[in-house]
Amino acid sequence: MALKIGADDLVENPTPRVPVSLCIDTSGSMLGDKIRELIDGVNLFYDAVDEDDDAHDAAEVSIVEFNSEATLIQDYASIERLERIEAIDPSGLTFLGEGVNLALDTLEKRKSVYSGSGVLYYQPWLVLMTDGQPNGSPAELERAIQRVTELVAAKKLTVFPIGIGGDADMAVLARFSPNRPPLRLQGLKFKEFFEWLSKSVSRVSRSTPGDTVKLDLEGLAGWAEL
Amino acid sequence: MLCLADGAGSASHAEYGAQTVVDAGCALLVDRFEEFSTGEDAADAREIITRTLVSALEDTAQRVGCEVLDLASTFLAVAASADRFVVAHIGDGVIGYVKNGEMKVASAPDNAEFANETTFVTSSAAASSLRLFRGSLEAVSGFILMSDGASASLFDQRARTLAPACAKLISIVASAPARQSKNPEYKKRVKRVIDTQVRPATKDDCAIGILASR
Repeated sequence: MALKIGADDLVENPTPRVPVSLCIDTSGSMLGDKIRELIDGVNLFYDAVDEDDDAHDAAEVSIVEFNSEATLIQDYASIERLERIEAIDPSGLTFLGEGVNLALDTLEKRKSVYSGSGVLYYQPWLVLMTDGQPNGSPAELERAIQRVTELVAAKKLTVFPIGIGGDADMAVLARFSPNRPPLRLQGLKFKEFFEWLSKSVSRVSRSTPGDTVKLDLEGLAGWAEL
Repeated sequence: MLCLADGAGSASHAEYGAQTVVDAGCALLVDRFEEFSTGEDAADAREIITRTLVSALEDTAQRVGCEVLDLASTFLAVAASADRFVVAHIGDGVIGYVKNGEMKVASAPDNAEFANETTFVTSSAAASSLRLFRGSLEAVSGFILMSDGASASLFDQRARTLAPACAKLISIVASAPARQSKNPEYKKRVKRVIDTQVRPATKDDCAIGILASR
């Protein structure tokens, strides 16, 4: 008996996704080198993901900016659909809680899309970057902290709180991440951080059931395993 | 009797664990086939199966010199007699069967919310997540068991259905010559399909077991 099996006889399953939410401070204090370095870092992250065989198919990135309001400037998209960022004009206050809540709402919607279409996904990541102190609604900030810490405790979210420069409120950032201290990005080392992030996405996208993904933590003191 | 186990990538001695649950699982399902295929108490059957597998893993852990958790693996099994079958499944991977010429899913992957999470025989939830099915072999022409790697090409996550290639693989095994030879032609053809068409869809390893009636 002949065994003729063609492409039609097989199924094409989508690659399990790694949703990455970048929640970034674009308040007035980010003006100048900080925002330029941040934009360069995000674009470098896109390039690095694009060049990596595993991360290319798996990563989906969204960006929420917060200043005197919170705005979704990039909904979840695979690397081929992500527009490189040309410029961001920082202005206004630091509505950090509102930004995180919008990022979490966007993530929940994306997870529903995955579930509805049979796409598997890995534990989502939230990268929270700010250079100052939150001054939006205190209730929104508390709600954001509670949502994040509950998700982290249930192992449903990995959060990377990053303080930019010496004025970042590390105490507030620490409340988002009870398991490990936030990282203060010294000397605007965005490039190094986003390179590390793209490599880490690649490692997660290669993991199989039972794997505990250990990230390459050298140079990122304070990070623990996922 | 057909059994397949896929060792957890994270477990340091998973190859011993997979071998252990295959050996112990086959022996148990053969010994107690009548009880499992006709008995009323499914909870009891679940408990017996997981306890037997974990007990065998404890012996292996002692012999190899590791922890039981270092032996984590999935467990997929089909036992068939003249007219009845029993299916048992812990973890991911898929068990399918052909009935009246139609490919059906007996047991789908047990993935938690995230892609790199599933239940293993060594998990605390193994007994409660063990799926047990049984039925008549009438009009059933074969079974296919596969690891999660193979299911990337053969199982549609969205539709929860098995690919037509599964029925073809079962039929080729059903029509294989009874005479034993060292490397029969059908086996080479199956291997070629696996290597060239099933494997490329995943970076994970692929295992497939087929049980077919003539």
